[in-house]
Amino acid sequence: MGGLQKKKYERGSATNYITRNKARKKLQLSLADFRRLCILKGIYPHEPKHKKKVNKGSTAPRTFYLLKDIRFLLHEPIVRKFREYKVFVRKLRKAYGKAEWTGVERLRDNKPGYKLDHIIKERYPTFVDALRDIDDALSMCFLFSTFARTGKCHVQTITLCRRLSVEWMNYIIASRSLKKVGRARLQGAECPFQWAHPTDVDYRVMATFTEMYTTLLGFVNFRLYQTLNLVYPPKLDSKAESELKAEHEADYAMDSESYLEKLSALSASLARVVATAEEEENQMDQFPTEGEDQENLEAREKEQKEQEAHKRLFEGLKFFLNREVPRESLAFILRCFGAEVSWDQSLCIGGTYDVTDESITHQIVDRPNMDKQYINRYYIQPQWVFDTVNAKMLLPVEDYFIGVTLPPHLSPFVEEKDGDYVPPEKLKLMALQRGEKPGQDDEEDDDDDDDDDEEEEEEEDDDDGDDDELTEERNLKKMENQRAQGKTLAVKVTPGKVRPWETGSVGNRVRLEQEEKAEEKRLAIMMMKKKEKYLYDKIMFGKKRTVREANKLTAKRKAHEDASKAEKKAKKQ
Amino acid sequence: MASVKRLKRVAASQPGFIGFKQSEDLNSGRRKRVNKNKKKNWNKHSDIQDVEEFLDDVRLQERAAGGLISERTDESLFFWDIGEPKRKIQPEVQQDHKGKKSKSRPLRIDLILQHDSLVPPPKDILAHQQPNAKKLRRIAEKAAKLASLGVVTRRQKRLLNRRPARATVPKAETDANNFPERPFYDLWGEGAKETADPYFLEQTGKKLVKRPEKLNAKPSVLPAVEIIAPGGSYNPDFFSHQALLLEAHEVEVKKEKAVLRVERQLAVNREDIATEETVFQEQVEGLVEEDDEEYESEEPGGVSTRGSLPQEKKTEKERKRERADKLKLQKKQAAQVFTSRKQQLFQLRSIQAALKKDEQQTAERVTQRKAKQEAEKSMPRRLGRLKFQAQDLEVQLSDEIPGSLRTLKPEGSVLKDRFKSMQKRNMIEPRERAKFKRRHKLKYVEKRAFKEIT
Repeated sequence: MGGLQKKKYERGSATNYITRNKARKKLQLSLADFRRLCILKGIYPHEPKHKKKVNKGSTAPRTFYLLKDIRFLLHEPIVRKFREYKVFVRKLRKAYGKAEWTGVERLRDNKPGYKLDHIIKERYPTFVDALRDIDDALSMCFLFSTFARTGKCHVQTITLCRRLSVEWMNYIIASRSLKKVGRARLQGAECPFQWAHPTDVDYRVMATFTEMYTTLLGFVNFRLYQTLNLVYPPKLDSKAESELKAEHEADYAMDSESYLEKLSALSASLARVVATAEEEENQMDQFPTEGEDQENLEAREKEQKEQEAHKRLFEGLKFFLNREVPRESLAFILRCFGAEVSWDQSLCIGGTYDVTDESITHQIVDRPNMDKQYINRYYIQPQWVFDTVNAKMLLPVEDYFIGVTLPPHLSPFVEEKDGDYVPPEKLKLMALQRGEKPGQDDEEDDDDDDDDDEEEEEEEDDDDGDDDELTEERNLKKMENQRAQGKTLAVKVTPGKVRPWETGSVGNRVRLEQEEKAEEKRLAIMMMKKKEKYLYDKIMFGKKRTVREANKLTAKRKAHEDASKAEKKAKKQ
Repeated sequence: MASVKRLKRVAASQPGFIGFKQSEDLNSGRRKRVNKNKKKNWNKHSDIQDVEEFLDDVRLQERAAGGLISERTDESLFFWDIGEPKRKIQPEVQQDHKGKKSKSRPLRIDLILQHDSLVPPPKDILAHQQPNAKKLRRIAEKAAKLASLGVVTRRQKRLLNRRPARATVPKAETDANNFPERPFYDLWGEGAKETADPYFLEQTGKKLVKRPEKLNAKPSVLPAVEIIAPGGSYNPDFFSHQALLLEAHEVEVKKEKAVLRVERQLAVNREDIATEETVFQEQVEGLVEEDDEEYESEEPGGVSTRGSLPQEKKTEKERKRERADKLKLQKKQAAQVFTSRKQQLFQLRSIQAALKKDEQQTAERVTQRKAKQEAEKSMPRRLGRLKFQAQDLEVQLSDEIPGSLRTLKPEGSVLKDRFKSMQKRNMIEPRERAKFKRRHKLKYVEKRAFKEIT
């Protein structure tokens, strides 16, 4: 043997980690400062693989950091600022104790501060990196901007967060880059004023995160505005600004705040650095490609066209928001897709037209009935907006009239694979998107629900007529008549018809082709190796299972609907 | 003032003067002899008691009666007593307004505090006059004249030349990180390159240390904002809502099970509870003799004989035999190994199968371990004393689902959700609020002020 005895915990993982307290001592910071530094620099605790080894034989649960991370922290210039701040607090306390008020003032004016710009640059070396982390920053800023100014955190922070979030929303509107309406996003904007602050949240930690994220979001905003040729900090269009001049503006907000409020109203467009009439359509560059790529390219082009259409979803429509609907979120969404929005004077600053405006096409209402209704506009519930945006097409307004039981709000974040269970509402929606009209069974459902039986019969008579278009026209007329009477519309759909060319000889040929294909597939399966066959069987089994489950769910749904229908009928009688 | 005093004294000397207070006997004490050739003694020893009293009396009369009574006319002091005047209507009126009157009557404390002196307050001269009025007027006139001529005085020049007062917002505030109007710039643009010598920058600690690549990796693969299942919508599809409810239900069941488990573990075993019988047994323990003891006394003897077996020395013969046995055994074992090896040649297939099975098992374990590691990436790690506690699912029950956005009641809190999300993504360790612990017991001391009252 010979040699020195190896000591335990002097090499390996024991030396790679450091406990939180030791790290704190190494950096000569208080725990709060250490925590702050770690958050700002993006250094997170680690769970070692072998805790007992790292903890020198003890099994007590501790927080560990990587030693190299802490060594990296030692070089941070902000650490010195923290120490300076500590000294500042000490001096201030002393001055207070001695009642030296001039001293206090002088100290206050020279309060040491620090900037996080270099940290942002270091953590996000490129703009793309910053965009990758933007969701966290956004959620924090939106959250803090909704806080009440009760002293839980600095009022300045709240104001800054509000400014940044308003800037962000204005950017999204200007660039028309909203794709889906998320519930999460809505939540953040909607329910803030009602919660009591939960007590088990560490506000200091949250404030530190916000401090970092506000800086990040500010720089990102600047860059985004720059790319769109917009003035930063955002300025209202001079035309829009004059429009927004309200006579009782002074009552609404202080002068210092009213500009931000006007910006946050989201109803006006922003000023551009270079005044252009409209953004010119930027054509995608065409590259000469071969065979396979051509298809891809076409697909991409189609997709882009769809996106363009989606962006202009609400263009040309004029909305009015009633007092009871969530203004900010709805105005934001509507503006993102090119609509014109206004609201009641008492609700918020920045409404551009009145309820009495004749050119309003849609009024968004969230109450069971309205006293005074205008003939030439739709009164719809807010869900129509969300569903329309998610469906990427203008949905029929009939399902969303005042007092109508709304169809379920489907999550836009769920994507069904084939074989999965798809709720019937989604099926209907998909059919609509394909440009088809809802099928026979839907009509039956609707008929059951309808109140006025006479009209139905009439309509059914109409359906018997051979010309589809004619009936449609007539239906439309009837709708208009009903609208004039101020009634809610009876939802009406015509049955799909089998086209003659589908049953003819062409159909036969199609069937032959299909049969051929099936045969080929069968042969291919026969030719498979044993190993591949096994895998194939497994996959097929899995698919069958999902289909079976989906079938089960549809059956369940059917049963549920039948039951609810029976209940309704019983109630009616 | 002096003239007033004199007047009063004159009035007092007149025969008709009536004082409020009775005059005291001046001859009560013995007269003290003092030299009156010193002014100091005049002040000290001359008796001015009567004068003081008289003046007090005059002041009292002025306060209470609004002037000297002796100067009043008789009509203002006396009246003809010709019986009670008739008051018939008054009591009714009083009854009518009883409630009102009691309300309007001033409080006694206010009455006490009221100013009741009849001496009018002294006039405020400055209300009508301006001090230095003349001077000020002259200055103003001169300034107007100079201004009309366009002359700027030196004083004004100095005022103008003085640096403007500091901006209303101090620098520390505008420089702060959270200053609402703080400017931003293009951080990722082509900034000015460092011009200084890199070695100098490095040595003076002005150059930032390069951030290790590893630090840019996120501690968890979870997304920043987790989107609730479709059942969490305010107007959900029936089945997705049911699915979410089921999920929430399972969480609750798990929690309840944990509580029940603890309760079960803490429960006292029924056999451990004292019954009458066991209590009695305990009381008579050792008092009643039993027959079992006889058995016990026999055994120790047997054990002792076996334990103290003497070690005997082996004979030569025995040793030889043992050695032979050992050798034989070794040979036998070697032969066995040899034959088994020879046999293995015929077992090749089964061995191969076993090997394959082993390999398969290891491969399976590897995949399992990989899968586990992959799953752990999205799991909250144990980062401190406390384990991560997931937030309650934000679910609305079937009868709570609102038909419209207007009637939607907010569930949960976004702030808490954010906080928990950060914990879940291993960015901060779960902590609990530090509990306030008093190191020393509080000592009760009765304060003096408090003591006086009780």
